Amino acid sequence: MVGSLKQARIAFVGAPIGRLVNLLVILAVLYAIFILATKIFAQGPSYFLQILTFGVANGAIYALVALGYTMVYGIIELINFAHGDLFTLGGFISVFLLPIFGLDASKAGTPGIILPLLAVFIVTMLICGAINVTIERVAYRPLRHAPRLAPLITAVGMSFVLEGVMFLWKGPFNVPYPNLLPTNGIVIGGATIGVKDIFVIVVAAILMIVLALFVSRSTLGKAMRATAQDQDATELMGIDINRTIAATFFIGAVLAGAGGTIFGLYYNTLVFDLGFSAGLFAFTAAVFGGIGNIQGAALGGLLIGLITALWDGYMESTWTQVIIFAILILVLVFRPTGLLGMRVPEK
Amino acid sequence: MQRRWYTAGAIIAGFAMLATACTGGAGSTAGGGGTTKGEIIIASDQPTSGGDASDGLPAQNGIQFAVESAGSIKGFKLTFKGWDDTVNGTHDPQKGAQNIQEMISDAKILGMIGPNNSNVARAMIPIANRASFTMISAANTNECLTQTFAYCEADTGTTPAKLRPNGVNNYFRVAAADTFQGPAAADFVVDTLKLTKVAVWSDNETFGKGVADKFTAEITKKGGTVVLRQDFDTKTTNDWKPFLTDAKNKGAQAVYAGATSGTKICIPRAQMKGILDAPYLVPDGGVNSQCIKDAADNAANLYGTVAAADANQNPDAKATIDAFTKRFPKKEDVGSYTFPAMDCANILIDAIGRAIDANGGNMPSREQVRAAVAATKSFKGTTGTYTFDANGDPTSPTMAIFQTKGSPLDWVFVKQFGVGG
Amino acid sequence: MRGLLSRLGSILESDPRKNPNAVVYLVLAVATIAFPIGVQVATRGSGSFLISQAADAGVYILLAIGLNVVVGFAGLLDLGYAAFFAIGAYTYAFVASDHLEFTPIHQALHIPFWIALLVGMFAAAGAGAILGAPTLRLRGDYLAIVTLGFGEIVPRLFRNASTWTSGVNGISALDTPALPIWLNGPWSGDALAIVQNFKIIDPLAYYVIMAILVAISVLLVNNLRRSRMGRAWMAVREDEVAAAAMGVNTVGVKLLAFSIGAAFSGFAGTFYGAKLSLVSPENFGFTVSITILIMVVLGGMGNIPGVIVGALLIYYVIFNILPGLPQQASDFANSIGATSLNSPSGDWPGLAGEVQRLKYLIFGLILVLTMLLRPQGLLPSRQRAEELQKGVHDDTTIEDVNAETT
Repeated sequence: MVGSLKQARIAFVGAPIGRLVNLLVILAVLYAIFILATKIFAQGPSYFLQILTFGVANGAIYALVALGYTMVYGIIELINFAHGDLFTLGGFISVFLLPIFGLDASKAGTPGIILPLLAVFIVTMLICGAINVTIERVAYRPLRHAPRLAPLITAVGMSFVLEGVMFLWKGPFNVPYPNLLPTNGIVIGGATIGVKDIFVIVVAAILMIVLALFVSRSTLGKAMRATAQDQDATELMGIDINRTIAATFFIGAVLAGAGGTIFGLYYNTLVFDLGFSAGLFAFTAAVFGGIGNIQGAALGGLLIGLITALWDGYMESTWTQVIIFAILILVLVFRPTGLLGMRVPEK
Repeated sequence: MQRRWYTAGAIIAGFAMLATACTGGAGSTAGGGGTTKGEIIIASDQPTSGGDASDGLPAQNGIQFAVESAGSIKGFKLTFKGWDDTVNGTHDPQKGAQNIQEMISDAKILGMIGPNNSNVARAMIPIANRASFTMISAANTNECLTQTFAYCEADTGTTPAKLRPNGVNNYFRVAAADTFQGPAAADFVVDTLKLTKVAVWSDNETFGKGVADKFTAEITKKGGTVVLRQDFDTKTTNDWKPFLTDAKNKGAQAVYAGATSGTKICIPRAQMKGILDAPYLVPDGGVNSQCIKDAADNAANLYGTVAAADANQNPDAKATIDAFTKRFPKKEDVGSYTFPAMDCANILIDAIGRAIDANGGNMPSREQVRAAVAATKSFKGTTGTYTFDANGDPTSPTMAIFQTKGSPLDWVFVKQFGVGG
Repeated sequence: MRGLLSRLGSILESDPRKNPNAVVYLVLAVATIAFPIGVQVATRGSGSFLISQAADAGVYILLAIGLNVVVGFAGLLDLGYAAFFAIGAYTYAFVASDHLEFTPIHQALHIPFWIALLVGMFAAAGAGAILGAPTLRLRGDYLAIVTLGFGEIVPRLFRNASTWTSGVNGISALDTPALPIWLNGPWSGDALAIVQNFKIIDPLAYYVIMAILVAISVLLVNNLRRSRMGRAWMAVREDEVAAAAMGVNTVGVKLLAFSIGAAFSGFAGTFYGAKLSLVSPENFGFTVSITILIMVVLGGMGNIPGVIVGALLIYYVIFNILPGLPQQASDFANSIGATSLNSPSGDWPGLAGEVQRLKYLIFGLILVLTMLLRPQGLLPSRQRAEELQKGVHDDTTIEDVNAETT
């Protein structure tokens, strides 16, 4: 407490600039929200509903990827830069698996795709999980007691390796993903909510609910939460830390694999370096919601999807990313634990 | 502790060995065989790794093919050597500048083909200019690289004169400038398709934004309206549906995309399905098989402009195209700049031939090669007949318009016409 | 002078195993002088492109030194350092070209390069302070995430605010550095004459400027590290609460670390802009920040010679080895007689084509393997190496910081 008192006294050096910058940023954001609101009002409710649909579907995918970041960060405090690329790899693996399970564009929209698609999902998720566990074993576990930035660099390295594998596999070009889902939709209030949108939202929601139940109810889930809180104490309680961490990586990758498959089915295109930007945004989403917090990651993903869609739909889309990162900075400055809070920040 | 230092030493030594291996290798391209008078290297600079590779690799293929099929010129052996200007996954002017310095330092290199991006060109031209080193680009279309307009300094911070400290032009290109391509598409929309309301997006890159801006200006001039204009950061954008829905609500009858296949040009086309049923127009960055793949089940009704004549329209070119397809069999080996780049290489080789003659059969100087390229008259390439004007632009460049048709869908030639002139 | 000599003497006498830094500095200094000569001899006078490239490498050395202040000394993870680099480069573009004439200011500035170096430094340091001020309350990785956001915003601002920055086209035709007066003579291939306003074009001149800039930066950073401020940084790095309790102004200390770290990127940005005569917004992205961070960590965080070596190695890999690899591979195949590897057939695009596709993979593997073999970096700071051997959970002794000298 003495420390924080002293800090409060000396914080005064940077405080005036800090306050001024904060004030300016708040004013800018308020102004932006005002403009956005007038535009939303001017363009009518059906367009707004349409944009919201796109935003939620988009956000659901971000949320799935964000979960992997948040779980890994929660347990070993590593920003796993390779996670975004694992998401892309999930898409690549599933596009490879589709013909094996007899799925092609000719069967698009028929009920016959449901079972094979489910199989593709499961196999992709398992392969991704296995790959991530291997990566953890090879690149992160040996460095668990190394300086903190060493695993960060191997994570960047693994990200390059995964991108390299995909580059080698499909080249630098966009990879087409067959359009299997029905393209029709339901019209509500002038907005079309496509079967695709519903599919993305429902699948993502199911996966997240299963995950939440797993973490809160199962023994392994409890072990994960315990490890996240205090590794040494958990180990003393007879829990195998290595196994718990590997399981975390496995689950994160399973969600990323599902996310990649959903992304492919929704957008019908993939590219080898997709995971770089997607990962960056998913990570931002995780921080938004409060890193280490599973519900927070879901909320953060949803928000990022919504902000992107709203800004793209109503304002100049070149500024979308600037807005997202500006809001991220603001959230962190005023609520350093993210929207839903996180574990006590102590290094 | 000591052992740790040995590891560090070993790693550094490993890098050092790589270093010596590399510098050794770079110097060892010599030889050329006893039967020839020597070796002449044709260099290229393209972004051949990272996201830009989908534009750069096909162009490099075209150059490599031209050099390989020529084989030799007037007793000199011809060799191809390609440089990559990608750093950290994107084209990099600093790397481009380094590449051209390296090319200049090799006396066997008499000229180069490239670069792909206008910003890289701005960094390279002054360096090459001081050495009278010839550059021919297939893909740079920014008009301010060669022509002096009032807005050039405000838009790009430079003028052709500032880029050429020697005062003598060393930079040539076969692509028609942005000033022609955007308006050509706009004229096509208004005059041929008879549409007036257009939504326009660009990838916010030099080429894409430039061509979209020129398109917008021409549409407005012709009495049409641009109902919606957006720029996207295509590295982070996956979803164009908000833009497309907005365009539909604002009554757009066509969509124009200023981008390249490296910046997802035809991805929005696939997303238009079920939202907006309208023609989709692309500049030459999109006229390729990749675009048709990306547009998926919505690839019909696509239109594209290409700032060079269609190689397939030229009966003499057919044999060349067949030979190229045999050498590079994959469909994605061919891009919209493959044949223009091949023509650039052939123009350079032809000029080197004349320069050798001018120098009495001996290795010509770079200035002689530059002068020979500048004097190129009616060179018949696969994509057209080229003569350079004083700026280094092709005189009366050709603009071709393509459309997707047939089953399976492919780009079909619609018409071509001279522009400017 | 005597001080310098005695210092040199102590370097020679010191045991390299105990203090390898002295040896590394010596090797670096000798290599800096020998490099241009060696290159010209080895390439028979056509090696100026290598010298020019080495000068470009210096930009990254400066960046790595600057980031080392933030990450290595003060222990603040900065994932958006390229933003300061961008600010430095654009500052030079604004103050040393015709560009401002075409912005709403309508008045071009042409500040000489030497003064622009200081301007760039202060602009970047100011940006560091502005970013640092509101985010001081954050600790650990949350600060890293804010810097990441900042690093994403700044290049996009330069790209989008096209009225001021001419957007994607960037700003070109920046002023070439010039000396107010210079003596031409046989050494430059001219007649003996005094030239006014001599424009610097020769790569060797840039190399010399860069070498001087790096030397000044190393001296500055070394002095900073040994100063009261340097010890405060390390105290904050080791335990912020304890440092605050001991009366360290943690807020001010962090702010200064940010500003001073950013200042070096102002140097780097100015030099980059002046040498390339062009700035464009796409070359300051997240990958650049990550690359600089890799240089710092791989070289040995907190240890200046280590960081320099790391910057040189990674620069060499990214700018030389990787782009040249396909050509090397096919040359190598030719030289061992395996020419059939080079000719494409069917799906095989030829060795060069195949290696072209392997670049990402190879770079990734280099990073992973180096880190696995040397988690503390190639030349770690002595204190950090000891920490590592004891294990991170052991109590680290802060008085070590005082004992640490170069």
